[in-house]
Amino acid sequence: MLKKLLLTSSALALTVAVVGSVASAADTKYTIPTIVKISGIQWFDRMEQGVKKFAQATGMNAYQVGPPKADAQIQVQIIEDQIAKGVHALTVVPFSPEALEPVLKKARDKGIKVISHEAAGLKNVDYDLEAFSNAAYGEHFMKALAACMKEKGEYATFVGSLTSKSHNEWVDAAIAYQKKNYPNMKMVGSKNETFDDQQQAYAKTQELLRAFPNVRGFEGSASTDVAGIGLALEERGMSKDTCVVGTSLPSISTQYLETGAVDMISFWDPADAAYAMDTIAVDLLNGKKPAAGQDLKVPGYGKITIEGNVIYGQAWIDVTKENASKYPF
Amino acid sequence: MPGTSRPSLLARIDFGRNETLLVLVILAFSAVTALVAPSFLSLPTLFDLLRNSIVMGIFAIGVLLVLISGGIDVSFTGIAVFSLYTTTLILTRLGVPVPWWAAFLLSIAIGTALGLVNALFIAGFGLPTLIVTLGTLSVIRGVLLTFVGSTLISNLPVGLKEFARLVMIRGTTAEGYFFSLPWAFAALVGVVAVTWVLLQYTTLGRSIFAIGGSPESARRIGIPVRAVQTFVYAYVGALAGLAGIIHASLARVANPFDLVGLEMSVIAAVVLGGARLAGGYGTITGTLLGVVLIVLVNTSLILLGIPSTWQMVVIGALILVGTGVPAWQARRTALRAG
Repeated sequence: MLKKLLLTSSALALTVAVVGSVASAADTKYTIPTIVKISGIQWFDRMEQGVKKFAQATGMNAYQVGPPKADAQIQVQIIEDQIAKGVHALTVVPFSPEALEPVLKKARDKGIKVISHEAAGLKNVDYDLEAFSNAAYGEHFMKALAACMKEKGEYATFVGSLTSKSHNEWVDAAIAYQKKNYPNMKMVGSKNETFDDQQQAYAKTQELLRAFPNVRGFEGSASTDVAGIGLALEERGMSKDTCVVGTSLPSISTQYLETGAVDMISFWDPADAAYAMDTIAVDLLNGKKPAAGQDLKVPGYGKITIEGNVIYGQAWIDVTKENASKYPF
Repeated sequence: MPGTSRPSLLARIDFGRNETLLVLVILAFSAVTALVAPSFLSLPTLFDLLRNSIVMGIFAIGVLLVLISGGIDVSFTGIAVFSLYTTTLILTRLGVPVPWWAAFLLSIAIGTALGLVNALFIAGFGLPTLIVTLGTLSVIRGVLLTFVGSTLISNLPVGLKEFARLVMIRGTTAEGYFFSLPWAFAALVGVVAVTWVLLQYTTLGRSIFAIGGSPESARRIGIPVRAVQTFVYAYVGALAGLAGIIHASLARVANPFDLVGLEMSVIAAVVLGGARLAGGYGTITGTLLGVVLIVLVNTSLILLGIPSTWQMVVIGALILVGTGVPAWQARRTALRAG
């Protein structure tokens, strides 16, 4: 009940944010399904808000479908079904990008426009849309951490796993940025692995405080990292003297943002990403290719950059204690 | 002279015992860590260690019972996360403030019920324990994520929030920061005490050893093997429910993706502690030492300056050596005797 209410209110907030800013593309009514990794989880529920918003604002037949469980094969079947229905464009968030190449090729051979999300490197698409480049996102964390730490002191970094490509790109970019710009800051230890487990982040933070008593900055990558870090610091009574930033969601971290144990979290809004994908799809159908620097009229996608067939926004959203209640997911 | 007739302290220590070996390894490891990083020797370290042993310790006691009875259970993490999440969800939906102990009882009840499902297949249909619990682990987790919920609940019911704030001992460091031990630690102490009495002083406890040693002999001397097995899996379920709700309370979040994946570390801790995978033997002291060693190593590798890429290797090697040495010793003893 509460969740529904929150979702509705967030949809309203989004409506306010984007209403009126939509270029009514053409008179043709296109059918554009969004195929997500899995249905029924908060992240993709939020994405569906963006799809519905787009349908409402433009009159296009945009809707979202997805498998009941994360399974590449079911996702392929769903795409096959959509192709058979004679859709104009497909927007897709692949579960396993490689597994989709054949079916996406089939779609494109039939003249269907294909836009993917979180799948840079996918070949059989017109464009892949990324909320941001990982390097820019990582540097933005270091700027926030440095500002909080007054550009001096020791800091530690966390990744979900050393094999997680995006986490490591964020953290590596942050470290490189620190080395270049903040000579009085120093990373202690190596990148700590948490296996997306809050308890691991918690125990590792306690250990870091033992090993490096002067560590005052922390950067998390998995959504539960900052919560584990925040819990450990709060129990120590160190919230005021430490700076914690990282990727997370308000539903996980709000209680630590409120007490000041966590200072800033960032994420990207899947609703905005869906809206941007649909916008690109309609443009393509109308014969208009996306151009570098173009404004998609979606928050965070105001000045896109393009590398090959990958489109980047700067669509990270920074959340602190002040605006946490605006993002109920 | 009395001094000469009594064996010296060193000679009285039984080095063949697994517990002795573990204590020595723990002491040696601590000594090395303290040499590398003197900050290791401090009260906060001890409290962190105890705090991080609570959930794993309760799990391990349950696994110990199953191993003694000659079975194996890998579903307890699934039971724990199911119990903690369902309990939190029910209490959140209820909306009325419920004291922490009521939440605990509910979680333990759910855990026991799920343990009885294991018992139905193992004691009832006589199926292999590993197969059954591997199956129930995925079914329980699947049902949880599909039908109960897959979203985090970070606004816990009042009772659970209050429980997390119950502090047994609190201290202040030289820099003015805190360290503390939550009352949740008493739950581990209680579980240890109850299980110890059960194993040492009750017919039921001795029957668990008997069916683990040889189910056929146990049956012939009149032990109700199925009833004992049913008890074992229900007990493990209850402990999992308890460990789960404590985990949620301390972590201040009910996360349906938590805990599952921890089962191998717990089983490793129990086996390190000397329990035999073949059944019939295991001690609580050994199990607790095994847990302490795993937690200690897990939370000291940064201190030792071991890079993240090597931490898994070190932990794996430790388990291999820790379980291999006693097994090798046992074989040597058996060869000498034979």
